[in-house]
Amino acid sequence: MRYLLLALLMVSSLPLGSFAGYREKFEKEFLSKPWAGEQVEEDACIACHVAEKMDPKFKNIPQSWKMSIHYQHNVSCHNCHGGDPKDAEMSMSPQRGFVGTPKYTEVPEFCGKCHVGILKNYLESGHGKALKSTGKGPNCVTCHGSHKEEQYIKKASIDIINERLCSKCHSYERAKIMKQALFLTEKKMGELEEGFSRLKAEGVYIEEEEKGLFNIQAEFRTLFHTVDVSLVKERTDDFAKKLEPIEIRLKNTFSELRFRRNFSAFIMLLFAGMGIVVFILSRPPKE
Amino acid sequence: MEVGRKIRDWFEIRIGLDEFANVQFREFRVPRNSNVFHTLGLVTVIAYMIQVITGILLLVYYIPHPEFAFKSVQEIMSTVSFGWLLRQVHVVGSSLMVVVVFLHMASVFFMGGYRKPREMTWVVGGLMFLITLMFCLSGYLLPWTQLSYWATTVVTSIPTAFPYIGDFISRVLRGGEYVTGITLGRFFALHVSILPPLFLFLMLLHIFFVKRTGLSTPPFGLSSEQQNPWTEYRRETHPDGYPFYPHFVKKEIFMGMLYLTLMFFFITFFPMLFLPEDANTPADPLRTPSQIRPEWYFLVPYQMLKLVPNKFIGITLLILLVAVFLLWPFLDTKKEPNILKRPVLKTVFFLILILLAVLTVWGSY
Amino acid sequence: MKRRKFLKVLLGLLGSATVVTFAYPLVKFLAPPEAESKTRRLVLKKSEIPTGEAKGFTFNNIPVIVINRPDKGFIALSKVCTHLGCLVTYERGKKILLCPCHAGVYDIEGNVVSGPPPKPLQKFPVRVEGENVVIG
Repeated sequence: MRYLLLALLMVSSLPLGSFAGYREKFEKEFLSKPWAGEQVEEDACIACHVAEKMDPKFKNIPQSWKMSIHYQHNVSCHNCHGGDPKDAEMSMSPQRGFVGTPKYTEVPEFCGKCHVGILKNYLESGHGKALKSTGKGPNCVTCHGSHKEEQYIKKASIDIINERLCSKCHSYERAKIMKQALFLTEKKMGELEEGFSRLKAEGVYIEEEEKGLFNIQAEFRTLFHTVDVSLVKERTDDFAKKLEPIEIRLKNTFSELRFRRNFSAFIMLLFAGMGIVVFILSRPPKE
Repeated sequence: MEVGRKIRDWFEIRIGLDEFANVQFREFRVPRNSNVFHTLGLVTVIAYMIQVITGILLLVYYIPHPEFAFKSVQEIMSTVSFGWLLRQVHVVGSSLMVVVVFLHMASVFFMGGYRKPREMTWVVGGLMFLITLMFCLSGYLLPWTQLSYWATTVVTSIPTAFPYIGDFISRVLRGGEYVTGITLGRFFALHVSILPPLFLFLMLLHIFFVKRTGLSTPPFGLSSEQQNPWTEYRRETHPDGYPFYPHFVKKEIFMGMLYLTLMFFFITFFPMLFLPEDANTPADPLRTPSQIRPEWYFLVPYQMLKLVPNKFIGITLLILLVAVFLLWPFLDTKKEPNILKRPVLKTVFFLILILLAVLTVWGSY
Repeated sequence: MKRRKFLKVLLGLLGSATVVTFAYPLVKFLAPPEAESKTRRLVLKKSEIPTGEAKGFTFNNIPVIVINRPDKGFIALSKVCTHLGCLVTYERGKKILLCPCHAGVYDIEGNVVSGPPPKPLQKFPVRVEGENVVIG
């Protein structure tokens, strides 16, 4: 009798799963305290900008932002535009640092609040000088996009230099030369990045190495913003030399991983062999 | 071999080595119809010994402080010679040991090895199973990774289901409101110095009981002459059985080799099976990974708690089930020792196995 | 019987191979690491870095900046920003260390003032011995 009851008890717990939203309930029960889950922050900016009443021009913004690299790195509205995300009334108040949409010619300083090194090089470049003196020329958004309409800011890559974009003001020739100058180094850095993600998949912890590579990438790309081909060509060798030790370490790590696999396979075969021999020996003799 | 003989003689005149070895290994017999499942107990001991040895060696380089724990484990994996081998054996071994313990328990249950006069053996074994799970829980936190930190947070918040003392229990487990370095210290002490002697003591007790009463006979295909009521102590000596040495020892060695082959199979071909990406990222108390889940052997209680709508009923049910499991020999009063002749119990047994499998897979989503 | 003998010999061989395969890693595991060719110390002359100035060096393959703080003496900090790894630059006027990648700002003690860095800059032990500044 008791086993029957026990069995019924266990089996009856299954249909309880049909309880809709059990997962959310569980999460609420066990993960709602601060120590048991992330605090989802109230963001006043997003709350208004996704509302039905919002002007369609502004309604797209949170969606675009969510696709961007800024979102992936926890950079949100107030980090660039100022204002207070926790207080709806003060969310667009100049008292809390709100600056609104930057003017076309002020975009470099707007982005340069964080991207300091790039701003410096940009202002010294032909592009920067053109913008500041004539009011016309490429600013950050021209090449990198923003959260306007269907655009979003993607991770920077060499393909931002393309015919469509760069022939708006001058012939593509100059841009092509620059792209060629960057190409090999960018390719090498891409290969190293890929190698790192393969290592990560194999369980190797490579944060220090990744930081080293990021530093070199950042330096290289900051340099590009001077739009000075001769400078880039001059410094390419430097960068290649900096990348070499990383490549060597990467290669060594992969061969170490191969060694480990072979070594443990060898041990496995030893044990399998002994198992087979013992098994044969343990059978009664043929007498 | 002269040297071997001389050494044996040296021991023989002091402790009677020959007679001891004879009684313990040659006269100790294994029932004629014993099967491979009888070897699982010793395989569990081998599994545990491997964990102890690799654990002690890992202790040489591990640092139990939140600032250094992750780094020390990474050093073991990358800088220390063959540190990776020891760590992998320890990690894979912990999961495999749970599997072996479970198989051992299930087969003992199936063959009725818990019945009178072996109730104490079962209870002690059940306690050892719970201690194994505690080993796993405490050991999991030690590498201080994202997975460790957050899985521990979830598991130590389960006692909060109790109305008054729940929060207190959680706080005692954690050493505070949150999982911190204090928790690490506690779990480390538990894992390294409290649980091992406890487990060892229970293991010796368990083996003593097994040897004192003799190995149980699988009830399949035997006539009911085995059902003499047990009214006074006697040892089941299986006079028509096989001697433990060499016959059964060879079987044991084979099973041991099988266990080790399996372990190295995982280490060679699936080294990251038990170490997903979050297990290789240092713990960040400010960032919860998108999917927190305890390790696979805890998925059954985890999923069960998710399904039962009331937290308190859920955890009470769990405790009830554990109590039934531990005290089963006292709850099972039917005289029939052969499970195949007890359709209700047999069905319940298989249903439970299936349920456990289902809950584990379900819980992994 | 010959087959059994062969099998026993084989078992012995495999067994000893296993023992060696585990003994070698065990010994290497427990053996102390070889003396590393790391720079144990970096010695500079006090006069190399006047007050308020800073100079960059490499110490154990890490780019390091040594600042002669006007009121508190020498400090040696790693130049590697704790955010994503770019190298910080010393802004003497504002007495800060600025990371050019995402504007992480540290004070001259290495503590984070603003920006994305999660942790302060790594500090290295500095000793002043007479005319010399010794790092490490």
